[in-house]
Amino acid sequence: MPRRRRTRLVLIFLLPELALILSFVLVPIIGTFIISFKTSHGYGVGNYYSVITERSPDRALVIPENIIKAQPPPWGALVHNIIWVAIHVPVVVFLGLTLAYLLRDVVGSSIVKSIMFLGMVIPMVVGGLLIRFMFDSDLGVIPVFLRELGIKSLAHTWTNYPQTALIALILGSVWLWTGFSLTVYAAALESLPKSYIEAARVDGASDFQIFFKVVFPLVKHATIIVVVMTMLWDLKIFDIVFVSTRGGPGGATNVMALVMYNYFARALDYGKSAATAVILALISLIPGIWFIRRVVRPSAEKR
Amino acid sequence: MVKIVVASNASFWGIVIGVFIIGIIIGAAATYYTASKQTVTKTIPSTSVITQTVTKTTTITTAATTGVAHATKTVTITTTTSPTLTAPKEKVKLVVIGPWSGKEEKYFRAVIGNFTKKYPNIQIEYIVRRAEDIAKTMPLQFAAGKTPADVVITPWAWWIVKMAKKGYVLDISNLINPNEYISGIVDKVTYNGKIYGAPFAMWLKPGFWYRKSFFQKYGLKEPRTWSEFLELLNKIKKIPGIKAPIVTGDGVGWPESDIVEHFLITFGGPSLQLKLINCEVKFNDPQVKEIFKKYLVPLIKEHYFSEPIEWTQAIQLWWNGKYALYFMGTWITGMVPNPNDLDFFPLPGAKGVVGGADYAFIPKFTKHPEAAKLFVKFLATEGQAYYVAEPAGKIPTWKGVKISQIWKPMQTVYKKITERHMVILPDLDDSVGGSWQTLFWDQLKLLWAEPDKVDQILNTLTQQHPACKGK
Repeated sequence: MPRRRRTRLVLIFLLPELALILSFVLVPIIGTFIISFKTSHGYGVGNYYSVITERSPDRALVIPENIIKAQPPPWGALVHNIIWVAIHVPVVVFLGLTLAYLLRDVVGSSIVKSIMFLGMVIPMVVGGLLIRFMFDSDLGVIPVFLRELGIKSLAHTWTNYPQTALIALILGSVWLWTGFSLTVYAAALESLPKSYIEAARVDGASDFQIFFKVVFPLVKHATIIVVVMTMLWDLKIFDIVFVSTRGGPGGATNVMALVMYNYFARALDYGKSAATAVILALISLIPGIWFIRRVVRPSAEKR
Repeated sequence: MVKIVVASNASFWGIVIGVFIIGIIIGAAATYYTASKQTVTKTIPSTSVITQTVTKTTTITTAATTGVAHATKTVTITTTTSPTLTAPKEKVKLVVIGPWSGKEEKYFRAVIGNFTKKYPNIQIEYIVRRAEDIAKTMPLQFAAGKTPADVVITPWAWWIVKMAKKGYVLDISNLINPNEYISGIVDKVTYNGKIYGAPFAMWLKPGFWYRKSFFQKYGLKEPRTWSEFLELLNKIKKIPGIKAPIVTGDGVGWPESDIVEHFLITFGGPSLQLKLINCEVKFNDPQVKEIFKKYLVPLIKEHYFSEPIEWTQAIQLWWNGKYALYFMGTWITGMVPNPNDLDFFPLPGAKGVVGGADYAFIPKFTKHPEAAKLFVKFLATEGQAYYVAEPAGKIPTWKGVKISQIWKPMQTVYKKITERHMVILPDLDDSVGGSWQTLFWDQLKLLWAEPDKVDQILNTLTQQHPACKGK
């Protein structure tokens, strides 16, 4: 097909999508960007300065007030997001890969995988409620189990206490997100030739060595996808926090998206809300660009 | 292989231009449709005139937001407003957004039913939306010159005033005579001398609720002094099967704030509540600190209060005897299986009770201002009588409603408050509003988890209080 005709055809097919992206993605992004610089005195970086230096526990991004006098938590919302990423990503990668590997040749594993995937299917608002009840001192599986084990100090409602609230939400999100990781790894392992593992076994490699030195490097692309998608999910996390703790107690589970919401819906301060959104978007770009460099661009170059 | 026929140069540009032309046609049609709808609205004739004059006598206890009246007094109401409202002769449909769903919606629909019976030409479409959702979506719609409803009902008076300041709300001063209402209630929606919201029925947060049968079974009595209160808590603690004497409800934090306000009013007097709202007294003031440290914090530390439990779940646990007392608003009367088994007591010595109303306002961009005014006026007056007759746990703000018209269990509450000469005070966090309100709720959740951090919490509440900034 001649190049010019092909270009035109592509343009025709792209036109509706471009129109939609322009109207519902680009225009709002540009609008948000402009609003983020709009202050009561005109245009400037005042909103960014206020947002970054804010010390109120419900809106602080980095350091809330009283952190020096009192022992954290809470930290700032951005720090909570980073903690979330630091715990959630490795746990999800490890659990997803391990489960996918162990369930590989097990009869009925598809049923287990489907059950695991349920966490991805249910709305996150419901997920947030389930997390709240999962860690409830009377109804929750975990506090009841810990009480049976005699660990009474942790047999309380985890979301009520600053020391346990954030970890409760992170553990809950592991349950919600492992289904995704498991599915990606299961698909990657399906495409892995069994002969590689058999050859390693013939060479005398132990199961542990096969897992870490053969399987793990061979599913590198799947790992990158899981890592990036999980990081992006963690950075923009909102619904489960909003439903289960609203960022509390005392701001101990506050996250950036919730700060943005608080500026928008409670303080009705659209400038600061937009500034928070821009900061969040810029931070989210880091794993996004890394993903494009590591996966998308090399794949395109191969073609 | 499938051969794709590609458009020629001319037909390519033809498609592009075609898309634009179709777009223009659709746009023009939409504009014409909208314009024609507006024309129809404007041409509705309205000639019927309704005037209303009320003369009633009733007994109420009053409180003002600027000062506190302690006496029960008889008020003779003579309505001075005779609003001239025009009822539409042709059918008009009003969209009303309000916060009530479930059973509460059913009770509100009884009010709507009576209104439409009176004004058959006005049809009402009721949409449920929480105050939070209203506050986050409507400002943008107002800024675009549009409104999703002709009448909006919300408990957040501060938000109505905020919208009024931006010019988004119709002035309804000629519809509301503040003298006909519980004093102070209209002040919350008054800005620059103009009234922007019509008060509807109100709830109260009168004290600790208990089951009469439970108290009878264990020989418990309402306390008359603080030491009797502590004695009662200790007695309850020893009852087998009781997890804690008082169950702490948890919503997004607000049930804890109600308890705190009750302690502040009891030990600091009703005026303290008002001074805290305006930051005439700061949260880290020694007087406030003492109330927290001497009365509330020891109770939390000694586990007289339960952990915060989702407040509707807490009702079930309390009703089933896992807890004996529950601090909650009067709406609880409509949420228990047998409201006749219900009674309450305030903390000994309490001279004030927090009460708050829902307010109806008319967005400036309504297409049916006359019909909307009729509905708002109805809600603010006789509509309240229909509502408080339902088991919604509310009392009227309009003095024109007789006590005998109120649902019986609420009559008991009303009488008990009147007998104790308790004044009705505005809700502290509802009055301050904005992001401070959620901060207040959240900091109190922290207090329940870590009562030793009381100083830090009170400092945070002071530093972030909008009225305290710069003081």
